[in-house]
Amino acid sequence: MKMTKIYEGSYQWIAYGRDQNKPDNIIDTNQYVVRAANRCLILDPGGVELFAPMLAAVLNHVPVEQITDLFASHQDPDVISSLGLWDQALPKAKLHAPALWEGFLRHYGCDTIEYVPIPDKGGVINLDSVELQIIPAHYLHSSANFHVYDPHAKILMSGDVGAALEAPGAPMFVDKFDAHVEKMRYFHQRWMPSNQAKRAWIERVRNLEIDMLAPQHGRIFKGDDVKRFLDWFEALPVGVAI
Amino acid sequence: MNMRTTNKQNKSQFIAVDSIAAELGAVMEVAKEISLAAANAKAIAFRAREKAKGFQPITDFINELAKETLELVNDINENSLLLYQLTVNEYRTADAYRKLEQAAQMAEGAAHGKSIQARVEAAKIKMQASRGQFRWHVSQLLNQLEAVMRPARAARVIAANSRIEASQAGEYMQSLQAVAESVDNAAQIIHDNVQRCRSVLSIIVIAE
Ligand SMILES: [Fe+2]
Ligand SMILES: [Fe+2]
Repeated sequence: MKMTKIYEGSYQWIAYGRDQNKPDNIIDTNQYVVRAANRCLILDPGGVELFAPMLAAVLNHVPVEQITDLFASHQDPDVISSLGLWDQALPKAKLHAPALWEGFLRHYGCDTIEYVPIPDKGGVINLDSVELQIIPAHYLHSSANFHVYDPHAKILMSGDVGAALEAPGAPMFVDKFDAHVEKMRYFHQRWMPSNQAKRAWIERVRNLEIDMLAPQHGRIFKGDDVKRFLDWFEALPVGVAI
Repeated sequence: MNMRTTNKQNKSQFIAVDSIAAELGAVMEVAKEISLAAANAKAIAFRAREKAKGFQPITDFINELAKETLELVNDINENSLLLYQLTVNEYRTADAYRKLEQAAQMAEGAAHGKSIQARVEAAKIKMQASRGQFRWHVSQLLNQLEAVMRPARAARVIAANSRIEASQAGEYMQSLQAVAESVDNAAQIIHDNVQRCRSVLSIIVIAE
């Protein structure tokens, strides 16, 4: 598992991905960790297959008792099918996940972890002194879907938005935006159902100051590439399989 | 214990618990058939009056046996549902233990790798506890199944008596004999099904 610090201040953001031992037939995912003084949040912890390598990787940065919070942007298996295992490993942790999906996500097993339902309008996650905003991104692609924005680090964890289907071992950051577009087009056109939802999200996100847009698949956008991505996404018709 | 066998073990446990549910479902059906046969026999015996005098108390008895079997199987069904949940539970705890061990191995050398050790131990204890619970319920279930065998055995004895009574019922002989026959068959089926349940369960317990 590749580990990349993407923000370093009084707390840290770490990206995990490109797991070499992952079976070829499951989609590669990025997991993000926000590490505060005594608590740590894992964003989109990943699928069952990824549980052991992901936990082992996180232990490079925090002891297990400080993994106190999990966040699931939506209900997909690549996001959170590992829940039943985290539930056994982190009996006192909290899972922040869409309220709408609670009855569904509990199928993975959620007996000891506290399910903290996120209402449709979003909310906040307080991690020691770090305050993270939960931004609605409904229908992108899931009907109850959230992103996490850190106004201090200026990072937006954008779930499946900004995702790219990459060859194994691809770099963590977008270097040539124009070339990267081709790896994103199909994903967004086919998985994202609603142009209306897309426009509402772009409008919301354009009001945020973003240095890094960090998706769950593919590469992270930095600096001007964030704006380029928003412009590109705005112009892209989605929901094309009808 | 090797973790791969744990997983296989879990799989065969799921299948076993499933097949028990299927066998018990069949037992219920057959027990219902017996009470139907008893009702039928009662009607015939009523028409035959004096000729089937000895048959009347037998039909009541058959009916009682069917009822008792149904009640017992109902209880067992509840227990076997619980057994299914315990199997799920055991599967989850065993899987978590296996994966936590994997993570601990992978985290060797990580700055906080050691912090996981207590969780691995806790997962192991949890796994063993749920295995213990499972085994306890299996032994409960075995006892309950033993109890179901009793009315089935009694029904066979009664079926034999019925045949004798039927032979003295003149023109009703054939239909009463058919009743005795169907009770006997049904009891035999229940007996066999329950026997299969028991051997499936015993295999699970022995395999551990
Ligand atoms: Fe998704
Ligand atoms: Fe995804």
